[in-house]
Amino acid sequence: MFCFANNMAREYDHLFKLLIIGDSGVGKSSLLLRFADNTFTGNYITTIGVDFKIRTIELNGERVKLQIWDTAGQERFRTITSTYYRGTHGVIVVYDVTSGESFANVKRWLHEIEQNCEVVNRVLVGNKNDAPDSKVVLTEDAQRFADQMSIQLFETSAKENVNVEEMFLAITKQVLRSKKERKERQGIPNSDTVNLRKPNKSKRKFC
Amino acid sequence: MGSVDLLSLVQSGFTGETVLACLEVSKMQGWVRTTRYLAIISKSGSSAFFVLTSTRVPPISPADVSVEGIVPIDSNFKFELDTETQHEDGHDLYLSVSSNKSKLLFEMMPSSKSNAFVGELYKAVDNVVRKSGPLEYNWLNRYPPVIRHDCSDNGLKEEVQDSVVDSPDSLSLPRESIAKGSTPIAARESVIRYMMSKKEDQYMYKQSFRIFVGTWNVNGQSPTADLTEWLSCDVDPPDIYAIGFQELDLSTEAFLFNDTPRENEWYKAVVSGLHNGAKYTRVKLVRLVGMMLVVFVQEKLRQYVTGVACDTVGTGIMGKMGNKGGVGVRLDFHSTSICFVNAHLAAHVEEYERRNQDYRDIYSRMCFSSHHPPKTIKDHDHIYWLGDLNYRITEIDPKYVKDCVERDSFQKVLEYDQLIKQCRAQTVFVGFKEGSITFKPTYKYDTGTDNWDSSEKNRAPAWCDRILWKGESIEQIEYRSHPFLKISDHKPVSSLFDAKVRIIDAVKYRKIHEEVMKKLDKLENEFLPQVTVETTEITFDTVQFLVPQSKNLIIANTGQVPVKFEFIKKLDDPYYCKDWLNIEPYLGDVIPGEKCEVKVEVRVDKKSAYKLNSGQDQLYDILVLHLEGGKDIFITVSGNYERSCFGTSLETLASIKEPIREISLGSIIDKEKKKDSFSSGEGTYAVPKEVWFLVDHLYRHGTKAKHLFVQPGLHSEIYDIRDWLDNGSQESLPGSVYSVAEALLLLFESCPEPVIPYEMHTACLNCASNFMQCKQIIQGLTYHRKNVFIYLCSFLRELLSHSDDNGLDTKTLAALFGGIFMRDKPVPRDVSKPRSSQQQLDRKKSIFIYHFLVNDYPDLLPPLVSS
Repeated sequence: MFCFANNMAREYDHLFKLLIIGDSGVGKSSLLLRFADNTFTGNYITTIGVDFKIRTIELNGERVKLQIWDTAGQERFRTITSTYYRGTHGVIVVYDVTSGESFANVKRWLHEIEQNCEVVNRVLVGNKNDAPDSKVVLTEDAQRFADQMSIQLFETSAKENVNVEEMFLAITKQVLRSKKERKERQGIPNSDTVNLRKPNKSKRKFC
Repeated sequence: MGSVDLLSLVQSGFTGETVLACLEVSKMQGWVRTTRYLAIISKSGSSAFFVLTSTRVPPISPADVSVEGIVPIDSNFKFELDTETQHEDGHDLYLSVSSNKSKLLFEMMPSSKSNAFVGELYKAVDNVVRKSGPLEYNWLNRYPPVIRHDCSDNGLKEEVQDSVVDSPDSLSLPRESIAKGSTPIAARESVIRYMMSKKEDQYMYKQSFRIFVGTWNVNGQSPTADLTEWLSCDVDPPDIYAIGFQELDLSTEAFLFNDTPRENEWYKAVVSGLHNGAKYTRVKLVRLVGMMLVVFVQEKLRQYVTGVACDTVGTGIMGKMGNKGGVGVRLDFHSTSICFVNAHLAAHVEEYERRNQDYRDIYSRMCFSSHHPPKTIKDHDHIYWLGDLNYRITEIDPKYVKDCVERDSFQKVLEYDQLIKQCRAQTVFVGFKEGSITFKPTYKYDTGTDNWDSSEKNRAPAWCDRILWKGESIEQIEYRSHPFLKISDHKPVSSLFDAKVRIIDAVKYRKIHEEVMKKLDKLENEFLPQVTVETTEITFDTVQFLVPQSKNLIIANTGQVPVKFEFIKKLDDPYYCKDWLNIEPYLGDVIPGEKCEVKVEVRVDKKSAYKLNSGQDQLYDILVLHLEGGKDIFITVSGNYERSCFGTSLETLASIKEPIREISLGSIIDKEKKKDSFSSGEGTYAVPKEVWFLVDHLYRHGTKAKHLFVQPGLHSEIYDIRDWLDNGSQESLPGSVYSVAEALLLLFESCPEPVIPYEMHTACLNCASNFMQCKQIIQGLTYHRKNVFIYLCSFLRELLSHSDDNGLDTKTLAALFGGIFMRDKPVPRDVSKPRSSQQQLDRKKSIFIYHFLVNDYPDLLPPLVSS
């Protein structure tokens, strides 16, 4: 029986898990489909569950394998989907620029992240930014909110393939940077002091 | 199957040829690997690399095996072992085989068998090098040309190949076979390497560089002359210099201790003789006794030189000493591997065979072991071979030779040149080229002059000092001697080459690499498990107590790979679904194109009824259907539960005067919350009316029924009785007395708590042998519970008074009702109690009840109301 897991030993330098969350119908699956398969379908199919796709990218000569999880946005699944936050390195919070409600709910989603993750890299995404006439969430408002929450904002269109690649690259860079920073932080005390006792056994939580 | 068996099996398929080794491997074809058998087969001194397929794995008879491809092991044959991609689990060793432009990649398990096979392969390749005279590959002609790979000796070129080598873009996959799990997916990393190598043309371009190669036998002299005449005779500065010397030092010390001041003297002379049109930096210097080779590169190009290594091979005295032999420097320049070899082959006019032998020894023994796996001379794209090869002019009058060369008529003399003759016979330097010689012989002169050696030997002058090359895209610009340098009895020789070197276009490379990765990502995504379910919402209409209902959920594998599915627990739930739900099967395998029908059954039984009645639970559950290595699908199950007296507490039932279905769910929930406040009995029935209806019915119609309570009732009648109790009716209670009796037991069993509450069980069991204490416990029960207990016991005593008719006995009833009144706490699914302790508990329970069936206990009464 084949198994990818066994064969992945050397094929990447980093493996990151990204999670896409946000209200139902904002285009989470479309963003994923655009990024992973470079396809778009106009047919709306609600995600009932969680699904993932992989994509390998190269960042500064390092190969990063992304496992990107797409979650059901429906309210009734919220408690279940929260269990999928575990082990996540970065979260993509999506709203629909043509839906004020979906933008208003971003706060709840951010709260959800705080509840379920310790440290996490986040990015805010206003999707469906391809029909100026129906746009209701103004860029300035979204930007002000993003600044307030100190979170990077991207306005994307999965349909027109605008800013999607950039957004995924940005969150990946963020995750990579924080991984390296954490490594550095851990590296510093070792060089200054010599610890003769057993290494600290407390498990670090990755989120 | 052992290797011996495989070998003999394959051998029996090849009559007249010898199968030297055989091995089972995986052939890497784009994305997939398929099982193949490799064989090294030899005949008439030559051998070939066979790729075999088998209709059965492993093959059982020679008829299973057929030849898929043949690569002759000739001078073009190259193979490489790649251990760099070895995986963490220690598997996978890659063997890549190439011949001209054909390339094959195999994966094998590292084992003694594979070691043995590779050993044979080394031997076979070695044989080609060592063999004098051309090898005979005609025996391969009996195989159809389509499976032969570039038999250079037969003029078969690339147009006949490629049944084995797939085209660069072919990602055609045996999907079906992958789906069945019979074709394993190749390691991704190896696929990327393979695909990138197939696309080389798209990101590699070639650029010309000038390479100056010089050789001089200096006869132990010090460098007293200026070398610019030799090294800087061209207008433009060369990009790379490779300069070889022989007989740098003829002293015994140099020979014995390999140490000589001459090294530095000559090195300095060379440095000052380099072309002054460019700055040079030394890449490597290597010396063995009198043989020295030094390689320079223009400073600005140094950054493109990597993997520099050197080695020396002595072929002198005893076949090892350094008075004769070769020294080599290898390097990678951009993406082309280059090897320079400076050799000093055996001397003496007649010893050409000795020289051939020295060449073969150097060629096979020189090994750059700092590389993994080690590289030998033949593993290089470009090879330059320079030195005092010592081949002479024989079988011709020395005087005639001198006459000819005086007139610059070299052609006639070169006919007698040993090296040219040996090359033609393919006994030496197979595959190497040499430019036409248009300069005077370089040996032997009277030192300091341009005069031929005047000693009494009177030998014919000869072109001892030569430069040959091997590899594609090399063009010789100059091939000449430098007679003005007179300090040695040899004249220096040099050659200027225009070599095209492969360069990776970083931008294009990245782009193509990205494309390859994208393709593989896409493929990997395609190969994730994929199913569709026809619905994610399973809705049941009305669900009644005890009546099972089921719906089928069809899980169809619409993906490309076999799927393992399982309904998994969510959050902190103890089980993957609620206890009123059952899924069959809850895990399974589905192969692509197939479906699996899963039965989702709702059945509210005595365990789950109370929670639904009391509003603690709803008929609503979200199931998580998990695909191993893939996604999760949420399936919502819902329905309306019809409330019933079954699964309602005795207190609540006693407080309701109407049939339960006439009251709203809200008020039941309310009553259940407040049930403890009914314990005084105020405003309630002494026993629940449902209990009274059933017992009274049995009292009137069933006391003489044979084996009442022991003989089971009918399901359908029990449903009718349930409806009668829940809805109320003017008609008499339906069903047989046996069904009524069973309904009574069920009513107690579905109560949230048994008649004697859980917390009192331990006390009951501890005093089971003492009737007084047992009575005290009953006395301590709450109002309704005490009434129900005494009411039932009285009824059972009544039954026992008719034991002649109904055949019941006290012990049976005591055991039965012990289990009802003191029902154990429900245990979670999948947990079983040890049986022996359970038996002991049951016995004590029945002893407890027994007292109340055989004794009077007027002290416990106020007598029951029976209206």
